[in-house]
Amino acid sequence: MPEIKVTPLGAGQDVGRSCILVSIGGKNIMLDCGMHMGFNDDRRFPDFSYITQNGRLTEFLDCVIISHFHLDHCGALPFMSEMVGYDGPIYMTHPTKAICPILLEDFRKITVDKKGETNFFTSQMIKDCMKKVVPLNLHQTVQVDDELEIKAYYAGHVLGAAMVHIKVGSESVVYTGDYNMTPDRHLGAAWIDKCRPDMLISESTYATTIRDSKRCRERDFLKKVHESIERGGKVLIPVFALGRAQELCILLETFWERMNLKAPIYFSTGLTEKANHYYKLFITWTNQKIRKTFVQRNMFEFKHIKPFDRSYADNPGPMVVFATPGMLHAGQSLQIFKKWAGNEKNMVIMPGYCVQGTIGHKILNGQRKLEMEGRATLDVKLQVEYMSFSAHADAKGIMQLIRMAEPRNMLLVHGEAAKMEFLKGKIEQEFSIDCYMPANGETTTVTTNPSVPVDISLNLLKREMALGGPLPDPKKPRAMHGTLIMKENSLKLVSSEQALKELGLNEHQLRFTCRVQLQDPHSDNDTLHRIYTHLKSVLKGYTIQHLPDGTVMVESIVIKVSSSAEDANTKVLLLSWIYESVYRSLRVWQPPTLDIFLR
Amino acid sequence: MDEPECDDVLDDWFIESLKTYKDLYVYQLECPTKVIEWTSGRTVCVAGYGSSKNEILELRLPPKLFANENKGLCAERDFKVVHGGFTDGPVHCLKHVPGTRCVVSNDGRSSELQVWELGGEDSDVIRRTGSVAGRSVVSEGGSRIAARLSSQPQVLHGARSGDVQLTELTSGQPLYKLETDSADPLSSLQFVTDAVFLACCCNGNVYIADTRTAAAPQLSPPPVSSGESVLWWTDASSGSSCLDPTSCRIVRLSSSGQAVISDLRNQREAASQAQLDVQSHHCNLDDVTVSWAPALDGCIAVSGFSGAVQIYNTSVWRTELQEAQPLFQHRGHTVSSQPDDGVFVTSHVWHPERPRTLLSAASDGSVHVWDWVDQSAGS
Repeated sequence: MPEIKVTPLGAGQDVGRSCILVSIGGKNIMLDCGMHMGFNDDRRFPDFSYITQNGRLTEFLDCVIISHFHLDHCGALPFMSEMVGYDGPIYMTHPTKAICPILLEDFRKITVDKKGETNFFTSQMIKDCMKKVVPLNLHQTVQVDDELEIKAYYAGHVLGAAMVHIKVGSESVVYTGDYNMTPDRHLGAAWIDKCRPDMLISESTYATTIRDSKRCRERDFLKKVHESIERGGKVLIPVFALGRAQELCILLETFWERMNLKAPIYFSTGLTEKANHYYKLFITWTNQKIRKTFVQRNMFEFKHIKPFDRSYADNPGPMVVFATPGMLHAGQSLQIFKKWAGNEKNMVIMPGYCVQGTIGHKILNGQRKLEMEGRATLDVKLQVEYMSFSAHADAKGIMQLIRMAEPRNMLLVHGEAAKMEFLKGKIEQEFSIDCYMPANGETTTVTTNPSVPVDISLNLLKREMALGGPLPDPKKPRAMHGTLIMKENSLKLVSSEQALKELGLNEHQLRFTCRVQLQDPHSDNDTLHRIYTHLKSVLKGYTIQHLPDGTVMVESIVIKVSSSAEDANTKVLLLSWIYESVYRSLRVWQPPTLDIFLR
Repeated sequence: MDEPECDDVLDDWFIESLKTYKDLYVYQLECPTKVIEWTSGRTVCVAGYGSSKNEILELRLPPKLFANENKGLCAERDFKVVHGGFTDGPVHCLKHVPGTRCVVSNDGRSSELQVWELGGEDSDVIRRTGSVAGRSVVSEGGSRIAARLSSQPQVLHGARSGDVQLTELTSGQPLYKLETDSADPLSSLQFVTDAVFLACCCNGNVYIADTRTAAAPQLSPPPVSSGESVLWWTDASSGSSCLDPTSCRIVRLSSSGQAVISDLRNQREAASQAQLDVQSHHCNLDDVTVSWAPALDGCIAVSGFSGAVQIYNTSVWRTELQEAQPLFQHRGHTVSSQPDDGVFVTSHVWHPERPRTLLSAASDGSVHVWDWVDQSAGS
C-alpha cells in the first residue's frame, strides 16, 4: 500500500526549531528549516544526518518549502543550502522572500560579530541561498516537477506566512507552519478549502492552550504606556516588522484621541524607510477587507505621530518612540535605550522575541546591569515590559482548521506525547481520524488509500449492465471482466475485443479436451442420451442441450460419445471446454461419479 | 469573529477598564461552563453542560497573573489546558475533594455522582473512576455536592433536604444521613467546619447539622420577604477559617434581589440587609451564585441575574432594608457579546488568597479573570 512518511528532524523534544521531512509518492520534501534559538552549539541546527550521513542534500530532496520568516522556521536555511549543500528549489511566498534575508543577516551579525561565533553562515551564503528561492503566490498551483505540485494558502500569523498543500498523484499533505484562526487587526485569519489531504501536519506548541483575547493584550499595552506617560516617563518601543509597528501606532493614535493626550509620539526614520519598502508587499498580501480599512490610513500619516529626530531623545517630559531595530542590538533603538535606561520613570516595551546575545534578550531575562563598549556598565533602571502580540492558533483553532480542511489523518509536531493525549483523543473522537505525535527523529508512516480513477468504455458498461443484477455501488462492488490499458497518464477499462483491436492482436481461444472412459454396453447414442438426462437432473439451472449433431452441450462444454475401437462396451467421452467458461462457476464433475451411475 | 460592530462599545469599556482593573484576561471556551472549581492555587476545573457529550478541563491560570516582582518580564497570558476528559452528560455541579486529585460531579438530572481522577504529571487525561449513588433516585434538579474539608475523601450530597448523605469516596459507604421529614429542593450544601454543614434550600430554609451526632438539624427559616414564591441562595463565610462555627456569617439572597446577612449563632435576627440592584434580565435563574470574598472582609459577589458580576460591601449595610449600590460591577461578559444575545453569567469564584481577583464564566462560553480596583479606597 502506498505510504506517507513524516519525520520531524533535530535532537531533543523541545520546541524551537521547525524542520520536517515528508516522503510522499516517491518525493522528499523539507518543510521549514528553522534554528533552535536556545542552543549555541550544533543542537541549534536540525539533524540532517537523517537524510544522508555525508554529502549534499540535493539528490535526496525534491524541494524545500519555508512557511514564514521567523527564525525558528528559516534560521538554518543558509546553513543547510550552503554549508551542508542543497541546490534544488526553495519555495516561499513573496513577502517571506523579501524579509527573510534581512532577518538572517541581522541574526548573522549578532551571532558572529557580537558573540564571535565561527561555524556560522556568511553574508554571501545568505545571498547565494536566496538565489535558489522560487516565490509563490497564494492559491496558485506550482508544478515542482511532473508529479509534484504545491499550493500556498493564507495563514495569518505574520506578513507572508503560508500554509502549504503538497500533492503527488492523488496523495496529499498540508503543512500549516504557524497560523491563527481568530482574525488579527491587520492580518486576518488562516483559510483553506475542503481539500481533504491524507495528512494535516501542525505544530502542537499552542495546541493545549486557550489564548487570552487580543483586546486584553492591547489593553495591557495601553495601560502600561499610559501609566508611564502620566508619571512623566518616556516609552521606547523597538519594532521590526511593518505590520506590528503600524498596528500599535493605530492603537496609540486612537487612544490619544480618546483620552485627549498631549505627549508626543514619534517613529524613527529607519522605520519609515523600511516602511515604504514593505508597504508594497503588504498591500498585495492582505485580503480585500483588511486592505480597505488599513490602507485608508496611509501609513504613518497620523495626527499624533511624527517622525523622530535624534535630538528629541534629550527633550524633557513624556514621549513615546517607535524605533528600529527590534531587538535593541544596534542602531537608533539602542542609542535611545542607552539614554533612557537610567531613569526608573521610563519604560521599554519589547513586542517580540529577542535573539540571544542582544540587549533585548538580556533585559528580558532580568539583567539590570549591562556591559557596553569600552567596559562601561549601564544600569537598567527603567521598567521592562515583555508583550507578546503574535497570533497563534490554540486548541480551539486546531479543531477549526481540521473542520475546514477535513484531513484523513492528523499529525502534531513539537509536543510531548504524554501531555497531548487529551487533544489526540478529542481529535480522534470528533473527526474519527488518527492523530499522530512523533518525537523529533521519529518517523510516522501512514498508509493511504488513494483511489485510482479509471475511465470505462461505454460498450463495456452497457454490456455489464445487460448482464443484469444490481448496479455497482461503493458498498457493493461487483466483479467484472475487461482489460486495463495504461496509456500516457490515463487508465482505461475496455472490453477484451476492443483491447485486442487497439493492440492489433488476434483473439485466440484456448480449448481444453479430456477423455473419460466408461464401461457401457449401450449404443453411442443411447449412452449420450442417458448422460444428457442425468446431467439435466443434477445440473439444474444450467443450459443443457442435446444437439442433432450428436453432442451434448452444457453451457459451452461439449460432450461426445464414441466407442472404443478395441471393445464396443468401452465408451470414450470426449469433453471439451473453452478456458473462459471454467470460470462461469460450473463445476467439472468427476468421472467416477458418472461411472457409478451408469452401472 | 468580526470586531467592527462591537468595536465602539468595546473601546469605551476597555478604555475605562484601564483604570478600573489591575488585571484583565478574557478567554473563549469552545463550550460554556456553569462550574468553576479551584483544584489548586493556580488551577481550576470547568466543564460543559450540553445535553450529551461534554469536556471537563483543568486549566492553569496564566503565569502573568501570579508573577509579582518580575511581572513585566512575563508575557504569558494564556490558559494552559493541563488535563482534559470527556463526560457522557452535562455537568451542573462539580466539587474538588481537598487533598486529592479527585473531583466529583453531578449532571443535574439525577442523584448519581460521577467521580473523576484529574491525572498527574505523566498523563493529561481526566478519567472517570467511579460513581456514588444518591440516597434516593431523583429525576430533576440534580444533586448539590460539598466536599469535606479535612483530608478524608468524603462527599456530602443530595437534591433535597430529605436525602442528604455523607459518603466515603473510596468505599461508597454512607457515613451519615441528614434526618428530617422535609423534602425541600436544595440550592447548595456547604461545610462550615469539618463536621458542621449547611443544607440550604431554594425556599430559603437553612438546615444546620453536625455529622458527628444523630440529633435533628437546626432549622433557620427564610427571612421575611416581600415577593411571593421567591427563591433563595445562601453562602456561609469561609468554612475552614471558621474555628468557631457560631461566628460564621451567612448571606441569603432572594430572586427579587433582597440580601440578608445573619450570624450562624443567631439566625432569627438579621444582622443587616439590603435591596440589591441586580437588574435581572432573564427569567431562568438556575445559575445564581452569591459568595463571600475569602480575603476581603465583608464583601460578597453576586451573579446569575444578568451578564454582570456585582461586588457589594456588606459592612456598610444596616438592619433596616435599604437599597445598596454595588462597590464594583464586572460587565465584561455583556460588553463583549451581541446585545440581543441575552448573555448571562453562569458562575463566578473568588481567588482564595488574592483579595480582588475573581473568575467568571458566562453562557456564551467566555471565561474572564479579573482583578478589580477599589475606586472608593482612600475615601
